[in-house]
Amino acid sequence: MDLLPPAATALPPRPVLPPVRDQPLRRMLREAPHTLHPTLWLGHQLGRQADTTCASGFAALDAQLPGGGWPRRALSELLLRQPGIGEIRLLSPCLTAVQRSGRLVMLFDPPATLSAWALAQLGFDVEQLLIINTRTKALPSGDSLWALEQALKSGHVGAVLAWLPPRLRAERLRRLQLAAHAHDGPAFVLREMTAAERPTAAPLRLALRPAGADALGVRLLKRRGPPLETPLRLALPPVLSSAVRERARAGFEQGSAALQGATFINLAGLR
Amino acid sequence: MLWVAVHLPLLSLESFAATLPAAAADRPLALMDAHRIVSANAPAQQLGVKPGLKRATALALAPHLTLAQADARRDEEALNAVAHTALAFTPNVTIQPANDAVGAEQATPDTVLLEVQGSLRYFGGHERQLQGLLQRLQRALVPLGHRLHLANAPTALGAALLARVHRRFDGVDLALTQRALDAAPVWLLGPGRTHWEALQGMGLRTLADLRGLPRSGVARRFGAALLDELDRAYGAVPDPRVCIVLPPVFESRLELFARADTTEQLLHGAGLLLDRLIAWLAAQHAFVRRFTLVMQHEPRWRRDARTPSETTFELALAEPSRDRAHLLMLLRERLAHLALPAPTLELRLHAADIARRAPPNTELFPTPRSEREGLLRLIERLQARLGHERVQCLAAVDDHRPELATVVRPADAQSVCRAHASVVAMPPATIPVDDDSIEPAPGVKVRPVWLLNEGEPLQERNSEPLLEGQPLELLSGPERIESGWWDMRLVERDYFIAQLPDGALVWIYRTRQRASNPRPGWFLQGRFG
Repeated sequence: MDLLPPAATALPPRPVLPPVRDQPLRRMLREAPHTLHPTLWLGHQLGRQADTTCASGFAALDAQLPGGGWPRRALSELLLRQPGIGEIRLLSPCLTAVQRSGRLVMLFDPPATLSAWALAQLGFDVEQLLIINTRTKALPSGDSLWALEQALKSGHVGAVLAWLPPRLRAERLRRLQLAAHAHDGPAFVLREMTAAERPTAAPLRLALRPAGADALGVRLLKRRGPPLETPLRLALPPVLSSAVRERARAGFEQGSAALQGATFINLAGLR
Repeated sequence: MLWVAVHLPLLSLESFAATLPAAAADRPLALMDAHRIVSANAPAQQLGVKPGLKRATALALAPHLTLAQADARRDEEALNAVAHTALAFTPNVTIQPANDAVGAEQATPDTVLLEVQGSLRYFGGHERQLQGLLQRLQRALVPLGHRLHLANAPTALGAALLARVHRRFDGVDLALTQRALDAAPVWLLGPGRTHWEALQGMGLRTLADLRGLPRSGVARRFGAALLDELDRAYGAVPDPRVCIVLPPVFESRLELFARADTTEQLLHGAGLLLDRLIAWLAAQHAFVRRFTLVMQHEPRWRRDARTPSETTFELALAEPSRDRAHLLMLLRERLAHLALPAPTLELRLHAADIARRAPPNTELFPTPRSEREGLLRLIERLQARLGHERVQCLAAVDDHRPELATVVRPADAQSVCRAHASVVAMPPATIPVDDDSIEPAPGVKVRPVWLLNEGEPLQERNSEPLLEGQPLELLSGPERIESGWWDMRLVERDYFIAQLPDGALVWIYRTRQRASNPRPGWFLQGRFG
């Protein structure tokens, strides 16, 4: 958005220059601004940085992400209420692709123990995962952010997945976003859902919530492009067989209906 | 023969200033021996302090003068570092011995001689042969922080003598060297030698005057040694030298003038020792794998016998290195986490474990090799700051019990990076598409990504499990895991995959009803992330 005004002022004023040169430029700006400069895009279009993204493995998601995938050299912020709703399965196609290209994946402060068998089932090479655990230190936030910043700045890590401490200050995140410019690969930061109320320095922000068994609801809160009203529903790499999944779907729909009913009854009871 | 003399006119002052905190090095300093000043730096000389003054006189002239004892051993260690740096340029390096001391005055050697005839072509080609080499030598000596006088001459002693009078002397051939020696003052032959005062008193000003005297008379009056020295300097008789040999183990110490309380002060001293270590490594084209820093503490602070008199810490590197900035950064991170029992008075650096290998190429564009090195350094840096046990790796173990099937262990930087380099050959696997109809791989027991090390007890309502007050719907199971009777950690559990009302999947188990089991019931084991 903020790239537009300088480009618009760079346009020659109409009376001074002949319209012959004016027209093509204006048309290019209107139809394909990225041919003028790769980072130029209009507000109602989706930004395109095709060479600087890596595919997420989900066609529905790729279609909505600027450039058709997770951005490289920038933070992608994922908001979720609690771990264990399918976030690893969402990221696993991208992270395993990074590992297959021979680069290291680093995890910072995972909130619980990771199961090596489960990761291997998702296609990870467990030997190639490096886990930096700073949570148990006396000074948690300082050291964990330092470590994350070092990894991003070094530019030698393939992908970074970090669980940030809660209530992180905005300038800390901006600092990480600056460090991510040197990081040639996707960088995911996972934060608590309440962070959605505050602005973020990351160019991409997603809210994740479970949407039934082996499915994940994804809302794009911020992206380089127009806002997306309807949440996406992605089918994750499955845990359940299809028969069980069908049963789970039925239970989920029934459960969500019951939950709404329960809320209504609760409110009625309060009154 | 082409000898280069590196003379350090301020060696003892500079080796003393290195033991001071960085800010104090510009203040007036003077060294004394037997209660008399032997040398003073420029700020002290401006105040009128000069060699030969008594201690009390010097302090009257400059009350803020920092006075210290001259220390021949300290000077020797500093000069050794210079000699080791020179060894990177030629194998023939020797230290010019000081004139034999008579009386109280202790003369320490302050000149290093290099025979560089054989190295000329390698360092700088044919045209500017010697200039190229001397520039590299000067650049290599910069970190040690000495002021240098350089002289080159066909004779070793000639170069050593001329380096004392000229800041830069270029004796291209013997005739030029002899002319320069003729004009050199006679005091060059050195204070402290026998009959030196007599030589001064005879009205001889230059070496030419001395050479003009009849040889037999000089020999009778001053001894044959003086004539022999003159002949060697002028190239009339051969002057064989014994080259220094690099010690197999590096050992250097630095006594701090003021006790060091902070990490910064310690690092200042440690940086100097690292410079010496790097000179020693560069001389043998080696890289250090591990080294030890010993900090000797001030004895007064030893309140009881249990406080150690020194702290030792060892720094092991994943990748052998001789990069000063990297080593110093590792030291800084390690020292920042070290609680020292008392202020430090003396530092010692010891290194024996080295690796000899080809020096790294300087690359313009990133290559797999440079990336691997950068990754190793990153891991080393993280390990130095956070501790080895915080940088972890996972390993899958063959065990049915989920809490024992994954082992978290400290990562070995080398093996991580080796795996990382070799994995390029792996064939690309297919990325799963998001399709509702795909099935999990048959025959594989599904495991959740997030595990709880101990099952979290779940509440029950009508003998149905609840998680955070929400009912759980059992979807698949039971999968019975009954294992571990041999190591006293027997588990008898029935595992189920269950669904929360919002659709998130969890892995729960029910312990089996047994007389031996004190707490039957439902437990949460993991979440499908």
